[in-house]
Amino acid sequence: MLVSWNWLKQYVSLDMTQAELEHRLSMSGLNHEGTRGVADDLAIDLEVTSNRPDCLGHIGVAREIAVLWEQPLTIPDPQPASSAPAAAEQASVTLECPELCPRYTARVIRDVRIGPSPDWLVQRLATVFRPLNPDWQPVNNVVDITNFVLMESGQPLHAFDLDKIAGGQVVVRQAGKDEPFTAIDHHEYSLQPGICVIADTEKAIALGGVMGGADSEVSSSTTCLLIESARFDPLATRNTARALNLHSPSSHRFERGVDPVGVEWASRRCCELILEIGGGELAEGIIDVGEPVAEPGPVILRLSQLKRILGIDVDPDEVSRILTALGNSTAAAGDGELAVTAPSWRRDLTREIDLVEEVARIHGYEKIPEDVGVPMAPSHRTDRDRVESIVRQTLLAASLDEAMTASMVPASWPESFTGWTERPAISSQTPMLKGADRLRTSLLPSLLEARRVNESLANPVIELFETASIYLAGDGEFPVQQWTLAITSGGEYYRLKGIVEGLLAALKIDIPLEVKEVDLPLLDLSRSGELCLDERRLGFLGEVSPEGLKQFSLRNGTSLVELNLDLLDELAELIPQHQDQSAYPSISRDLNIVLAESVRWSQLEQLVRATAGEELEEVNYQETYRDSEKDGADTKRVLLSMTLRSRDGTMTGEQADQLREKVVLQIEKQLSGRLLS
Amino acid sequence: MALNEFLEQLQQLSTEATSAFQQADSLEAMEAIRVEFLGSKQGRLKAAQKLMGQVAGEDKPVAGKQFNATKQAIEAGLEDARERLSGGSSSRSADPTFDNTLPGEAIGGGYLHPITQTIEELKDIMGRLGFSVADGPEIEDAWHNFEALNIPPEHPARDPLDNFYLATAGTGTSSDTDTPLLLRSQTSNVQIRVMESTPPPIRIISLGRVYRPDTADATHYPMFHQMEGLLIDSKVTMADLKSVLRLFATSYLGSDVHIRFRPSFFPFTEPSVEADFSWNDKWVEFGGAGMVDPNVLKAVGYDPEVLSGFAFGLGVERLCMRRHGVTDIREFYKNDVRFLHQF
Repeated sequence: MLVSWNWLKQYVSLDMTQAELEHRLSMSGLNHEGTRGVADDLAIDLEVTSNRPDCLGHIGVAREIAVLWEQPLTIPDPQPASSAPAAAEQASVTLECPELCPRYTARVIRDVRIGPSPDWLVQRLATVFRPLNPDWQPVNNVVDITNFVLMESGQPLHAFDLDKIAGGQVVVRQAGKDEPFTAIDHHEYSLQPGICVIADTEKAIALGGVMGGADSEVSSSTTCLLIESARFDPLATRNTARALNLHSPSSHRFERGVDPVGVEWASRRCCELILEIGGGELAEGIIDVGEPVAEPGPVILRLSQLKRILGIDVDPDEVSRILTALGNSTAAAGDGELAVTAPSWRRDLTREIDLVEEVARIHGYEKIPEDVGVPMAPSHRTDRDRVESIVRQTLLAASLDEAMTASMVPASWPESFTGWTERPAISSQTPMLKGADRLRTSLLPSLLEARRVNESLANPVIELFETASIYLAGDGEFPVQQWTLAITSGGEYYRLKGIVEGLLAALKIDIPLEVKEVDLPLLDLSRSGELCLDERRLGFLGEVSPEGLKQFSLRNGTSLVELNLDLLDELAELIPQHQDQSAYPSISRDLNIVLAESVRWSQLEQLVRATAGEELEEVNYQETYRDSEKDGADTKRVLLSMTLRSRDGTMTGEQADQLREKVVLQIEKQLSGRLLS
Repeated sequence: MALNEFLEQLQQLSTEATSAFQQADSLEAMEAIRVEFLGSKQGRLKAAQKLMGQVAGEDKPVAGKQFNATKQAIEAGLEDARERLSGGSSSRSADPTFDNTLPGEAIGGGYLHPITQTIEELKDIMGRLGFSVADGPEIEDAWHNFEALNIPPEHPARDPLDNFYLATAGTGTSSDTDTPLLLRSQTSNVQIRVMESTPPPIRIISLGRVYRPDTADATHYPMFHQMEGLLIDSKVTMADLKSVLRLFATSYLGSDVHIRFRPSFFPFTEPSVEADFSWNDKWVEFGGAGMVDPNVLKAVGYDPEVLSGFAFGLGVERLCMRRHGVTDIREFYKNDVRFLHQF
């Protein structure tokens, strides 16, 4: 909202400096955004919050200044002279949609002389319109006066050429389906029911609360005027402005709500100025249709609430002064209580807490101390935070960088990886970024895109992880929001498997990691797997298939991991417990075993563990060789080492050899393996 | 040649060489022993290396390992003798082949996203001030995102153009509600959920992703992170709010700062303010704050006559951008590793 320094002086004396004015208005609710000189005037830009439509006119701003500087406020009291015949004999108003337009008033002026506006009027308007629109020009005296009163009081007005209103009959109604309308800007609009139009007996002549029509606008040949001053429903006005993408100073104010009493004042004010500047005869009376304005009841303000909410005492006289100066009527109610009736232009003051805020902002927030002793309180670090911290430490140590990607993705991405769900991704009514209207069901496609961006920059090392939610359609009221970790690495399958194993170790989860075969087109069929802990799905691991690389326009191979962090959170042992360690040294034994190619390491490991028993401290995989000439086709040699340790004493070489032989025997028996000597 | 045989020869060689070096009584004698064992053409170690070729293929790793150990033992014997015969440290001479300016071995390690680093710092500071972290869903219903926060259906903030409402088909949502689920537009939904399920006092922060349709440019992104704080108790005032914000800002910036309130308007707080902090003699916008609106307290079943509280919120991206001099918010979501490695 731009206000003119010179204009404000019509209502309140400005004895302060410009900087003081800007500062105190900012500190009391009208945030100062900037000031520009326009001719010999200042255009001061103030941000008006949506609860304060009263400050969308100069009088409202002047009232704030008057309250802050304890100055009198002078508001014009327009009393335009009128003569017969009465307005009601020259025009009529039928209000068909009070839900869209609660009140509609009209006055009629005859024999007006349309012409240019006087200089003072042009200067006022130029100060507040030209900074926004350098090409702004005055229109004519009548239109300029309606704009003047708009910017004075915040009440939008419209002047119709009464001779162009068919039958002199104004009908306020809903638009018909696809009803055509030509606005004052000469654009054609197609209207719909729900939109409030001002019509005559033939067609729509204005968009209620938003814009006038081209056909009935005031021109140089106009002599008879119908002056509309009305109140349109905020929500309906907003919907219309949005639907037509047509925003005007009028719609801006009606959306926020105009002073229901000020409607009539503005009409009088407008007519007074027209008579003064353009001459003419004002018809007697006002056509005023719609519901009467409800008088709000008083709100009781307990003065003790000021201290309770603000933390400071405010002198009761100061409280009364502030509230009265703002336009409230106040009366002592009970002990330490004020009965406060808000003025018609402050429909935001309906509760005690609203009055507390009024007192606080005028009294000054700087009076509230910033050094009171806030009591101490314990704060608990959540398990989730602890888990996330361990996960991050582990991944950083593995030289992965943390990425952050958008939660919504293009439709093709969820289809490219269906590991977590077969159901289609949830879509949003509005895309987040261009074409991205699906809630992601996996972080992997997002990371592959981040990888593509890095490849396009020829960044040599691209090792990324992200922790975020994925959104899986379910049968409950809410979709499942699974906390998820994903990794993309330039390394191979075993690098990422090592990272997963490292994560489990860091989180002290000693459930064996199972790898199951999985067929997901994004991943290579062999070099991939579904990861499970105790038969519960932890996630997926694999190298991206050639088709997957192609889909995401990647030049170089990459491996992926995606894990369910909710499961890790559940299984993590955040407070590990001490175990007594054996006091005796360990001894190790290597085994070089020839096995059929089809035997998996997991089988071998399980067998070694089961056979060697509790004296086996570790079994470590070393290497795999293949020598089909010596060992036969479809065989491999697997080298493993066992670390053995006893709790009861130093394990001797003989004891170790015995255990080793026991293991070898079982390998021969159960896996048809053979020890290489 | 069998592996065992080879290993025995190596053992023998090592023993002999070590003993010879120990008995050398002059630098000349030492040099002769060096040529015998370590000579590059006729040395005995060289001969042993040739024998390794005869060891069976599968034994080669073990043989190679032992050969290296033997070589190191003999070289150590030579060094010991050299030191003993040349009179200790006076003979120190620099090795011209050692370039001590070559780069060190890379230690590896990755980088946390700057937004995460900022969030961790905020959590840390607020934790010390007694605020625990509370989590809530990103997909939210109208009650928790709007209604309970004193944002009624006709409020502009609920406009479909300003929110990411989910398409109702296939979301598995119950159809008895008129308003579809949406991606939360603020983290305040967590406040409602915590208050609904927890008796007062409440002292929490909630952090996370929030979503508002916006054209992405240097200062806007349709997804960003917010931190919100909430304190509800029997005697909480705006002075407490100002003091907590001051403690927070002073902790974050490391020097004594002051807090300024400018009136503002939010549906869920009354009074509502914009909080600024003083920094380098300038006032910098901190975020929105205010006393929790009585309607919000009532919505969660709290009695506004007994309880009061404050709430505040700030944008993490903006804080992070100012802190690190990032000028384009889109950098955070591009994930160029060169960007990430700066923090």
